Amino acid sequence: MRRRLGRLAALMCCLALAACTGGQVRHGVGGPNTVSFALPPSAAPNWILPLPIPGYTASYNGVIQSALFLPLYAYDGSSGAVALDDKASAADAPVYAPDGKSVTITLKPLSWSDGTPLTSADVQFWFDMVRAAKDEWAVYSKGLMPDDVTDFHVVDDHTFTLTLDKTYNPGWFTANQLALMAPLPKHAWSHDTDPRKNFDYLVSQAKNLGGYNSSPLWKVVDGPFELQSFSPTGQVTLAKNPHYTGEDAAHLDKVTFLTFTSSAAEYNVLLAGGVDYGYVPTTNLGQKPKLESLGYRIEPWNGWSITYIPYNFNNPALGNVFKQLYIRQAIQHTVDQQAISQVIWRGTATPGHGPVPQDNDPTFLSESQKNDPYPFDLDAAKKLLGDHGWQPGADGVRTCQEPKKCGQGIDKGTRLSMTLLTESGSDETDGTMQELKSELSKVGIELRINAQPLNTVLANGSTCEPSSPACAWQLSYFGTQGSWYFPAYPSGEQLFATDAGVNFGNYRDKPTDDLIAASTLSTSPQAMVDYSARLAEQLPVIWMPNPPYQVSAIDTSLGGITQDPLAGLQPQRWYRR
Amino acid sequence: MTRFLARRLLLALLVVFLVTVVTFVILHLLPGGPARGVLGVKATPAQIDAFNKSQGFDQSIPVQYWDYLLRLLHGDLGSSYTLNTDVSTLLAERLPKTLVLTATSTILGILVALPLGVWQATRRGRALDVVSTGLAFVLYATPVFFLSLVLIILFAQVWPIFPAQAAQGDTVADLLSQPGSLVLPVIAGGAATAVAYSRYMRSSTVDNLAEDYVRTARAKGTPERTILWRHVWPNSLTSVVSLIGYSIPVVFGGSLVVESMFNYPGVGLLFWTAARNADFPVLLGVVLVIAVTTVLGSLLADVLQLLIDPRVRVPGAKS
Repeated sequence: MRRRLGRLAALMCCLALAACTGGQVRHGVGGPNTVSFALPPSAAPNWILPLPIPGYTASYNGVIQSALFLPLYAYDGSSGAVALDDKASAADAPVYAPDGKSVTITLKPLSWSDGTPLTSADVQFWFDMVRAAKDEWAVYSKGLMPDDVTDFHVVDDHTFTLTLDKTYNPGWFTANQLALMAPLPKHAWSHDTDPRKNFDYLVSQAKNLGGYNSSPLWKVVDGPFELQSFSPTGQVTLAKNPHYTGEDAAHLDKVTFLTFTSSAAEYNVLLAGGVDYGYVPTTNLGQKPKLESLGYRIEPWNGWSITYIPYNFNNPALGNVFKQLYIRQAIQHTVDQQAISQVIWRGTATPGHGPVPQDNDPTFLSESQKNDPYPFDLDAAKKLLGDHGWQPGADGVRTCQEPKKCGQGIDKGTRLSMTLLTESGSDETDGTMQELKSELSKVGIELRINAQPLNTVLANGSTCEPSSPACAWQLSYFGTQGSWYFPAYPSGEQLFATDAGVNFGNYRDKPTDDLIAASTLSTSPQAMVDYSARLAEQLPVIWMPNPPYQVSAIDTSLGGITQDPLAGLQPQRWYRR
Repeated sequence: MTRFLARRLLLALLVVFLVTVVTFVILHLLPGGPARGVLGVKATPAQIDAFNKSQGFDQSIPVQYWDYLLRLLHGDLGSSYTLNTDVSTLLAERLPKTLVLTATSTILGILVALPLGVWQATRRGRALDVVSTGLAFVLYATPVFFLSLVLIILFAQVWPIFPAQAAQGDTVADLLSQPGSLVLPVIAGGAATAVAYSRYMRSSTVDNLAEDYVRTARAKGTPERTILWRHVWPNSLTSVVSLIGYSIPVVFGGSLVVESMFNYPGVGLLFWTAARNADFPVLLGVVLVIAVTTVLGSLLADVLQLLIDPRVRVPGAKS
């Protein structure tokens, strides 16, 4: 008996010793004036250079870059609307010439962390590299930056003028073009007189993740933070930049970005208090009171985004069917956005009715989009289909009985049976698709669901010619985390303009093209509102509820947090109460 | 012996080769390929074409496989699309950490299992044996992820004496410097091993206790303790030791789950991230490592069996 008691005591001692050596820290790691932030599941930062190449454009890379290297113009939602964030920008507000053909920019009196002043040459250094290697630059779109700037003229050390190829809407140009620019430390990073060679050199250095901690390149920063450590596993620690010369200095000593294998792993650590600012998987939202009792506040983080299902207007079988507006109206009437948002997304998603994000800033939102022109109404859908010659067959699926009424290019006997290529791996998406299938079947439309990994959906659901085998897809959904995140100005030149890069469904509409062109060229914001109304009514895609960027759990002792819809963080403004 | 080893080595190479063929073909036949997954929604067709060309995806599958095999023979496992590092370097960074976890949990599991099995065998049919057997079955039927979750809830949330997250660090020394954070992952990984081996050990010991040599020893008045530890224990070990080799792939599979649950920075984290990002070279590299360890494990088991059990060495003898 004594021996057993001895063994038990020894075991308890071992447990206590182990607990003492590795006991957990409540809410965060590292110290009193530090914050630990959980990155999305399996996200590992892999790019530090504020000049991304394809494959390295993840939002968390952007967060780290903008904390170290100030963009020329920063945009965020900290004011309640998506707007220019002067404090986080490296330049004063741009001044456009009266004819709109040039813009003059004055840099703020900032210095790099090694004491060298930040000058116009640093911005030109960025511009020259982008112009020399635009095809390699991830953000390049033909005709836009740098093609739309015909001349870069240095006026003095702190002022430069850009000559534009035509007159643009200044709001759009600043938000979607100038915001791409960033001064880079020419004195420290210039490796060759040839900008292309410089670009290749910096890219090769940025690809060397293992060298981030030791490379002298990344020690020269102008942002509120400097890089303290970058682990090969993806964990990144930023420390307050003691040499920062701007007006947006960091309050915290350190911010650590943590990587997790899965949302379950992150949630377990969150419950144990190991994260200050993390996320709650939607399936765990039932535990909100418990999280609140642990000292977290739970807030959905709405993105500056829209979510949709594109129709393939070039599909040989159903392209002509999708081209009929009444068909698209009938389908939109069967999407019960309220139910999907409330039940499947547990109230975290927001119904969306058009091409402009409608969770946050209403500046560009038309009345039509706001008021949902095609609310959930199965009777209206049935009537639209019945009135246009589609009658239910023996299996309940409608077929075209009167081709004249059905529309141009639709043969008699065409069945309203379509396949939806959808993203696998999400309970919410699976539920949404089943709900959609169920409602569509009630109006006589058969939906076959083909769930595939995201990269397969993206690869197979892209632009195609009608004759190509790649055009076999009919509907495609890649919106589990939102289909499209906008830059600051939510115009549609990449999404719904004819032949645009991400116009996956090959939508073509002259009035839409005109409105998009006007929104980027004209100075009036009315073009954006008209564009919002036009596409809310024309339905180039099926509008779907927009899920949040994430549902956040934030330590209540942490202040200064704005859940920026542009997915930025501004960690320099966080503080401990 | 030499012929046997040569034959087993050849067979092992063939198995590894077949594994590379199957995994390579399956991954590369996935519709769409990795380009969109890696480059994202906004990638232009030109960028996707450039990616496919640079990675050789514009070639036929046999040509791609042949190139892969040639690179493999030169020790080149390729380069990760997203981590900008050679797969061999990534594996060299992570594999030691996974080995620390798997080896510790396996050794711990065995250290618990072997005496436990003998203890149960000597109390066969008694209340303590029935209770411990029942508990063992419950634990055996519990999936590793669920056991991990229970451990986290109990010891990191309800009674917070250990962290919910494993130690994070770039080197094995970093991980070992935080032993408290390794306790839960090691227990989660070791529990299944302990339960499985204790069953084998119990069964093997029960069989041996019924053998004639035990009866003879007892009849000669040999103390029970001597019979158990000097005669029964080594004989019971032979079958269990060979199982250790065969169970290496199971331990590896379990470690992926444990690493995922505790966010352990080993091969598991690498595998999950690669799977999410369609990072084919990393996936192939991890599968290859698991295939090689599986084959080596079974080879090791055969050799151990050969060394400790004389019956195996005699052709035609009943083992």
